[in-house]
Amino acid sequence: MVFPLLRRMLEKDILTNAHWVSLNSMGPEKIEADNITLDHVRLGKKRMGGYGQAKETMWKTLHGIQKKRKTVELFFWQDEFIDYTHYNRLCSELVMKLDKENDFDLFYIHDFQQLPMAHMLHTFKPKVFRWHIPFDESLVPKMWRQPLASYFDAYDVVIVSCKKYLESLKKFGYTGEARYIFPYIDQDIYKKPSRSELDEFNHKFGIQEDDRIALVVARLDPMKGQDRTIRGFAKVAKNFPNVKLVVAGNGSFSGKLGIGLSKAERWLSQLRELVKAQGVEDRVIFTGYLTHKELQAAYERCELTILPSVLEGFGLVVIESWLYKKPTIVSSMAGVAELINHGENGLLFDPNNPDDLAHNLSAVLSDQNLASALGKNGYKASRQCSLERGMKSEAQVMLDLVGSMVAKRRVRR
Amino acid sequence: MIPDFLYQIVVFAIIVTITAVFAKIFSYLIKGAFKTWAPVVRTHVQRLVSVCIWGIGLLIGIQQLGLRMDFLLLLIGLFGVAVLIAIKDSLENIGAKYFSDVYVPFKVGDIIKVGNTSGKVIEINPITTVLLTDNERLISIPNSLFLKEKVENVTPRIWKEILVPISISSNINLPQFESEVLKTCNRMRRYLDERFPPILTVKGRDKRSVGLVLTLMVREPSKKNEIIEEINRKIFETEDKMRGGKRKRRK
Repeated sequence: MVFPLLRRMLEKDILTNAHWVSLNSMGPEKIEADNITLDHVRLGKKRMGGYGQAKETMWKTLHGIQKKRKTVELFFWQDEFIDYTHYNRLCSELVMKLDKENDFDLFYIHDFQQLPMAHMLHTFKPKVFRWHIPFDESLVPKMWRQPLASYFDAYDVVIVSCKKYLESLKKFGYTGEARYIFPYIDQDIYKKPSRSELDEFNHKFGIQEDDRIALVVARLDPMKGQDRTIRGFAKVAKNFPNVKLVVAGNGSFSGKLGIGLSKAERWLSQLRELVKAQGVEDRVIFTGYLTHKELQAAYERCELTILPSVLEGFGLVVIESWLYKKPTIVSSMAGVAELINHGENGLLFDPNNPDDLAHNLSAVLSDQNLASALGKNGYKASRQCSLERGMKSEAQVMLDLVGSMVAKRRVRR
Repeated sequence: MIPDFLYQIVVFAIIVTITAVFAKIFSYLIKGAFKTWAPVVRTHVQRLVSVCIWGIGLLIGIQQLGLRMDFLLLLIGLFGVAVLIAIKDSLENIGAKYFSDVYVPFKVGDIIKVGNTSGKVIEINPITTVLLTDNERLISIPNSLFLKEKVENVTPRIWKEILVPISISSNINLPQFESEVLKTCNRMRRYLDERFPPILTVKGRDKRSVGLVLTLMVREPSKKNEIIEEINRKIFETEDKMRGGKRKRRK
């Protein structure tokens, strides 16, 4: 989301210069592309492990799935949190150094792992924070409230992904300026695949000409709820013998020792066992990672898509699926559910109720008119998450903070 | 034969060198002797002693050059008195600001009462402290008043708070220093309120040093002094260790 946004803002002359600071222990110190400078922060192996664990604990806790109470209560007093702070301090020191060289107008900080940054930046220049994951104040542990509140307070504006999270942030006690902007994608990069690309996709994953495909695109993670889909699908599989469930995606979130696939691999093996137990072994296909071309083919080839997340910051896969005019069945726990008018541009279901998903699956699979209407209306709704629209909203936040004249001045490089 | 003036210059140079060595030695002695003092106070005492030694050393050196000291001292004295009279009020406030950094228990964001005035501190500059009152009026209070009047900090839970001012050399790796300080605080967890983790904030930086403030919340106010002393000692050791590491690496 960040790179397309910066590129488009530079094209439209909203920005004149952009630096993007991110974690990359392996790559070069600096890369320049399309007038965007990528500045990399490096972490040693040991620190990386601690940082990864701290990030995982935060992510699990804020999704309400951290079971170890002690880990949550003592989080801010553990060595892993020191590594997390260390990483943020490295970033803030680099940002301050770059600011000295470039005289930035604004700092835009993304996601929960960088939350302490504004507190660390010793400057009055405006700081904006984008919270990408779900924000449910009832899930924030009591012991975390004060530190999180002080981190949030250091920002001039906090942006969340939907109205529900904005309300929750206010309920949490944040009194500063907050807005919601739906996440967005560059919709132009989703093209119609050629016949040969479709054939290749079918051949690679053993899909027959007369197979009807229900598609799930998500990272392999329990929070993504692939198990809920399998249970729901198993309930209707007998009634629709040609329907196959395609589960696309692999892991990308941190494992036990930082960035790794161990969590995804464990989850995949549990899903395979579940498929066996539900008796739908020959009806479920796990594709693993898909290239962009394969993803286009998957969307084009499928008859419907499902977003079964237990809790989801937003769910841009729904927008991708809408671009191919496919009907979607969406978990009511996803941020994107705010865009769904049930029965008009999609169907909502409770991810904790497999019968609910089964019912909606049957409805779409057995009613061509409904499926087609949902897809067409969804296509119209997808405009709400276009890069153009997102950029305008983001630019408005920036311009409100720095003023158009300042924003347009050319920054010394 | 060495001409007289050349001889005098050589002696002057030797005196300056000895002065520099003395100033350095005293600086180290003070640093070592007052480990548990607030780092900001310690740094200022070091500077003050250093300036005094340099002053004495230079005076002796100048005398050695054969210049008339009585006339020079008279000029410096008269100029100093004139400056002091001209900026007496400002100096009083600046001095009070310096002492308030260390001893007066409030900071920007706190709610305080001074005499009949109360409000939220929104700015502390070298001359005045600016309060925002409940009815949105701005009141500027000269800093010198805080040393004369009773100041009450009515911010909730403020009795728990410890602010430790720290000044480290800009050569020290700040992320690494912060990690060490946080580890030290974690070891003292049983004395601290666990709902408020320690926070290190950058308050200012220049070419030579970085000014920081460590904020801690204690469980019991009676332990405050012990905690401050322990933290100051640990910070001193950490800084010393990191400086030592740097020196070793240079070698």
